[in-house]
Amino acid sequence: MTTTVCGRCKSSGAVTDHQGRQDGAVVWTILRCPTCNFSWRDSEPARAIDPAVRSADFAVDAGDLQRYPKILQQ
Amino acid sequence: MNDLPNRARSISSLRDFLELLEDAGQAITWSDAVMPEPGVRNIAVAASRDANGAPAIVFDNITGYPGKRLAVGVHGSWDNIALLLGRPKGTTIRELFFEIAGRWGDQEAQISYVPEAQAPVHECRLEQDINLYDILPVYRINEYDGGFYIGKASVASRDPLDPDNFGKQNVGIYRLQIQGPDSFTLMTIPSHDMGRQIMAAEREGVPLKIAVMLGNHPGLAVFAATPIGYEESEYSYASAMMGAPIRLTKSGNGIDILADSEIVIEAELQLGERELEGPFGEFPGSYSGVRKAPIFKVTAVSHRRDPIFENIYIGRGWTEHDTLIGLHTSAPIYAQLRQSFPEVTAVNALYQHGLTGIISVKNRMAGFAKTVALRALSTPHGVMYLKNLIMVDADVDPFDLNQVMWALSTRTRADDIIVLPNMPAVPIDPSAVIPGKGHRLIIDATSYLPPDPVGEAHLVTPPTGDEIDALSKRIREMQLGALS
Repeated sequence: MTTTVCGRCKSSGAVTDHQGRQDGAVVWTILRCPTCNFSWRDSEPARAIDPAVRSADFAVDAGDLQRYPKILQQ
Repeated sequence: MNDLPNRARSISSLRDFLELLEDAGQAITWSDAVMPEPGVRNIAVAASRDANGAPAIVFDNITGYPGKRLAVGVHGSWDNIALLLGRPKGTTIRELFFEIAGRWGDQEAQISYVPEAQAPVHECRLEQDINLYDILPVYRINEYDGGFYIGKASVASRDPLDPDNFGKQNVGIYRLQIQGPDSFTLMTIPSHDMGRQIMAAEREGVPLKIAVMLGNHPGLAVFAATPIGYEESEYSYASAMMGAPIRLTKSGNGIDILADSEIVIEAELQLGERELEGPFGEFPGSYSGVRKAPIFKVTAVSHRRDPIFENIYIGRGWTEHDTLIGLHTSAPIYAQLRQSFPEVTAVNALYQHGLTGIISVKNRMAGFAKTVALRALSTPHGVMYLKNLIMVDADVDPFDLNQVMWALSTRTRADDIIVLPNMPAVPIDPSAVIPGKGHRLIIDATSYLPPDPVGEAHLVTPPTGDEIDALSKRIREMQLGALS
């Protein structure tokens, strides 16, 4: 079943952006996290999208989004 | 495959080039069912292991994207680059370098305009309910990328403060992360033309419209990544360098675009807005960080019937990125250096967009090569990218790493290097002191000349030159013939 929990920042509430079909049946769903903008396909390997096994090196801290620098400042 | 030069000059689109590549055994169609992840990445990486001979791969059976086509590796090998330049497979990198260097600045651009109604790129047009995830067979390029990236887009824009100036139109390759069905972020830095235009539009509060071209004339993909002056048109450059006409038309939002591209996405900058972007597996072979990047809203999409989405594998080298831009990074540095120092005989800046470069020079006096190295650091590309420079004599081929290692082994003293601290650096160089600032290294591997008291050793001089090159090729052909 498709989870709406973000594999990167663990926020809930991901939105569905697209579903791929093959012979009329849905074969995957693309989701996007409105908190950290991570987007993924639910058919991807678990190590890329499952927060339980995904590398912590690539986690985003949903509670501290201010830490990420803004490019092209005047 | 007779008359390769004329065949190359007659290319006007990605489709033309794929046909040429297929005829030469340099493009294959992957019709087995493949999942977007990790299937496409795995196949693209496996192909790019062969930097000399990898074929382009056209996928036409991606699960969940029935009927859609994706091309990777179009510029993914030296053989493909050779065919684009009208040269046969097996042409050496050194020969390709001089082919490009020889074309520099000696040809006229041939630009023609096609009415929009007759331009293939406008065969199909979407102005509402746009969903990029549906239009493009997207996939995650590297497994920890922050989303689905368009990695080989040529982005065209007009200078927001001088919109009628053809020369100040910019065409550049920038990475785009899709951010919802009709939005994307664009990553750039202030020193890039697009960064300059975004900052100007936001400072003055004027709109910035862009046209993102996908699946383009293979010459443009090369030259849109070439560092040239701000007021020089990449279209003109591409035409002059290919020695062939380029057909332009207008996008729906008024920008000059290639008439024969597969897909064009028209979009407008959301002034002052930033969205989280990244990470992305970048050309140094490491991930960029997460940053807040400018966001664009898609206003329309045009495409040819049955469009081909062209993308790139980029990451830890070798990858298509290296063959796409390597020679066209090297050639302008060579041309610019020779304006001051005709003693420069070749420039190899193939490595990670020139983070390491090797320059061969006719050494006039002790230390002369260091002077040339300092000039290289002040070329437009050198300012940000040339981090490690190895200077060799003219008797060393900088494209032959065995020869370069010989020079390092026999002509370098450990104390004959220069470290320039706290210089500008590309922000994604993982070795930088802090992103955007780092040290430069110049290794002088040239021979000892007066007044140096050591002097050059008495060298063995094995036979070199055209005759030996021809014999080497003949031996290779005899070897291949023995196999067939």
